[in-house]
Amino acid sequence: MSSSSTLRQGLDWGKLAPLRLRAKTVADGVYAGGHRSRRRGAGIEFGGQRSYVPGDDLRFIDRHALLRHGTLLVRQFETETDRTLCLLVDASLSMSYRGEGAPGAKYAYAALIAAALCKIAVGAGDRVSLDWFGGERTVELATAGGREAFERVVGALETAQPSADLKSDLPALERAVARVERRAGRGSTVVVLSDLLDLPEGAEVAIGTLGSRGKTLSVARVLDPTELSFPFTGPLHLRALEGEARIETDAAAARPQYLAALAAQTERWSERLLSRGGSLVPLNTADDPVKAVRQILDSVGGVL
Amino acid sequence: MSFLVAAALGVGLFIAIPIAAHLLRRGRAKERDFPPTALVPTSRSVARERATLEDRVLLTIRALLIACLAVIGATPFVQCSRLSLGRNAGASVAFALVVDDSHSMREKDIEGRVRFDRAMNAARELLSSAREGDAIAIVLAGKPARLALAATTDLNAARRALNDLSESDRSTDLEGAVSLARMSIASVSHHDKRVVLLSDLAGAPLSEGQPPIWTPVPDLATPLENCAIFGAERRGRRVAAHIACTSPAAAAGRALTVVGEKNVTPVPLAARGGIQELGLDLDPKLEHPELELNGGDALKGDDRSPLAAESASLGVLVAADVSNASAKTGGPPVLEQAVSALESSATIHPIALLPDDVNEYRNNALLLLDDPGGITPEARGALTTFVERGGVAVAFFGPRVDQTPLGATLEPFAHGAVHWDAKDKSDVNTASLAWLGPEASSLQDLKLQGHADLSTTDLLGGRILATFSDGPPFLSKRELGRGTLFTVALPTSVEHGNFPLRPAFLALLDYFLDEARTHRGAAQSVAGNDWTFPLNASVSIDGPRGALTVQERARTSGNAQKVTTPTLAGRYTVRIDDRAEERVVTVDPSEITAFPQKPPANAAQARANAHPGSVDASPELGFVALALLALELGVRVFRRMTRERGGAPVAAAR
Repeated sequence: MSSSSTLRQGLDWGKLAPLRLRAKTVADGVYAGGHRSRRRGAGIEFGGQRSYVPGDDLRFIDRHALLRHGTLLVRQFETETDRTLCLLVDASLSMSYRGEGAPGAKYAYAALIAAALCKIAVGAGDRVSLDWFGGERTVELATAGGREAFERVVGALETAQPSADLKSDLPALERAVARVERRAGRGSTVVVLSDLLDLPEGAEVAIGTLGSRGKTLSVARVLDPTELSFPFTGPLHLRALEGEARIETDAAAARPQYLAALAAQTERWSERLLSRGGSLVPLNTADDPVKAVRQILDSVGGVL
Repeated sequence: MSFLVAAALGVGLFIAIPIAAHLLRRGRAKERDFPPTALVPTSRSVARERATLEDRVLLTIRALLIACLAVIGATPFVQCSRLSLGRNAGASVAFALVVDDSHSMREKDIEGRVRFDRAMNAARELLSSAREGDAIAIVLAGKPARLALAATTDLNAARRALNDLSESDRSTDLEGAVSLARMSIASVSHHDKRVVLLSDLAGAPLSEGQPPIWTPVPDLATPLENCAIFGAERRGRRVAAHIACTSPAAAAGRALTVVGEKNVTPVPLAARGGIQELGLDLDPKLEHPELELNGGDALKGDDRSPLAAESASLGVLVAADVSNASAKTGGPPVLEQAVSALESSATIHPIALLPDDVNEYRNNALLLLDDPGGITPEARGALTTFVERGGVAVAFFGPRVDQTPLGATLEPFAHGAVHWDAKDKSDVNTASLAWLGPEASSLQDLKLQGHADLSTTDLLGGRILATFSDGPPFLSKRELGRGTLFTVALPTSVEHGNFPLRPAFLALLDYFLDEARTHRGAAQSVAGNDWTFPLNASVSIDGPRGALTVQERARTSGNAQKVTTPTLAGRYTVRIDDRAEERVVTVDPSEITAFPQKPPANAAQARANAHPGSVDASPELGFVALALLALELGVRVFRRMTRERGGAPVAAAR
């Protein structure tokens, strides 16, 4: 039995398996013209010269060539450069949670979104890197492009197993962020997939730094339907997957306060990320992954 | 308990199921993973409290439901000690319930149960076993025996009549009650007739008869130890108390005291059963004194008695000539001897002349005047006033009616001259005297020396109650004011005939004494005796338990009267017009001293009619089970609605 099969037994993939096929399906469904155009025009990187034709922007006339050769030439630039998609996936233990009615665990949903984004990026000629915080048997993938990159990303996502308590392990998170920062150059897109729960104090600051230096940051908050609605009734005895939190409560009495606290936490994250040029995309694992991917794409300007 | 009953009741063990479920639910809620637990507020007490309360309600309902089902299953197999009527092939039954409401039924047994209450419970049980078509009569055995409900098939009427019964201090009249019960169901068409006697059987032995008597609660006849004060009368500084005890054991160690008077030395009772009279000194200024027996017995209520006024005993004035109205063997006049024999407690005052002052009649209720030789105007006035105030005067006319002196008349008995007919020797018409009872027949073949001829006399509106065989009046009665005047055409002297020697003479005297008691309203009387009042008098009576109702009642002998019957011992305040007087009602000493008798021999035959009752409460329990089921559904719906109002989805976390 392969290791990935073993992991599928350990993680509740639910309806989201197999990841590879699901990711391709999602990516195909997402197609929204987000692919980079090879058309040359105004851009960042020099793409060659051509003869001037009336109507060309005079700003791009190559004056050096005119003076040297007496010929009107226009400097051309690549309209888009290759962008690196840096995926930072939360594989802490809380991501293994799957509530009633959810198609799969939060990690499975995040993996599906990550794989779909990878597929889209690879299809558009972009390079992809994969980093983790938390988790076991995680494989960090350096920036790479092409079909092999997608296969490696999918394999890494399938191999990883949510674990580890990051509640009090800020250095682990900071190390992961530092790795992403090193891989992501100016213009890169960083997508963080996490439930943002049970993270250590200062996690907002650490993750927020990924939005600096010309990078586009999108944090997709993946939550289970039960975490969003708190549908329980009667007396409850709850235990957090990370940390030591254990409480007894009455569902009806606690529901309004819980939902208010969750909304406040989401708002806080949103404000922090916005101040760093990033954005927060709330996701529900019960929602259509295609829609989720589109939300992420929208949050990063429609292209990867 | 049979195996079937035990097995059916064993269903009740399933109560353990909801209890176990409750205990499981009541425990800590199952721990569940929830990543954002840190965001959830704690409200442990609310959660536990609510779960506990809701679960307890449901647990109780479910446990009751199961218990109810178990009992429903068991009831057809249960045979209990509840009384019920056995039926011959399921046929309807006519039965007369004889409930003894006499004083002795108020006694408590050693378990603290009042005999009367037990009798009533037994009556209710028997009544509850009656079915449509059964005929029921209810007879009360307190003296006089009364029919509380004539035989009827209306079971509701029987229940109402039974509920209206209450205990009393009456004497016992078992024989009369049983006779009445037999008569009450004699005319019904039911083939199966029974007489159910619920009594302590204290009294005269019962004779056999048909239908036989069934005593379903024989324990009622268990002898109990009791002492009672059945009469207490003030006589100057002395108090005479009459006490009855069932046995020496009941009297041993007990003493008579005056309530609230520490200076009075308690007088110990003689350690013997029966009746005893005790005397003690008492401050005459003490108002409303009460006597009490210390210690305890089967009935505490009769250990205390109010003190009657000095005139409690019946006062009788006897005006008879000792020289010719006495027996030849000597002694007091025949009239006095007869009164003493009939009313031992009566206070007899022999007088030679009729009083001229009405105050001399005070404390007397009856005047017996033998062979009057005329009544002077002064004596006539005093006598008239005495009668108008409620006294009873009887004149036995003799030969001296012919010798009325000048200025004297025979008024208010008769107006005008009365002739003594020494020749006529006719007998009394016994048929006209039938109302007196069987003794009336003893007036046949009298040997008379003559009689007063009242045929031509103005009797002043008096009614003739009896005549001689040839027609002249023998006995007349005249109402005057609140009192009554009787005129008898024969003297009481044996020298003028053997009339005083016949039983009818005593019966007649007893009738006069009874009239006197009735009119006077004895200051001390036995519970259950009627108090009668003139129809035109305004009467109100306050008793130990509030006001007594005074009713108008037609009398067999003539005019209607106001009558009431005090049934409880104690002090009564009687207001007649503007005059108030106190009367004391006591218990009959025989209620204390009489021992329970054995039921008649043929009672065993009736006993065979008693069946152990089977309990069938299925309909009632079925309704209870349905109600419990509805209650559980209601509670569950209420809980669901409460949760929905709380905003939570119905899908339970469990």
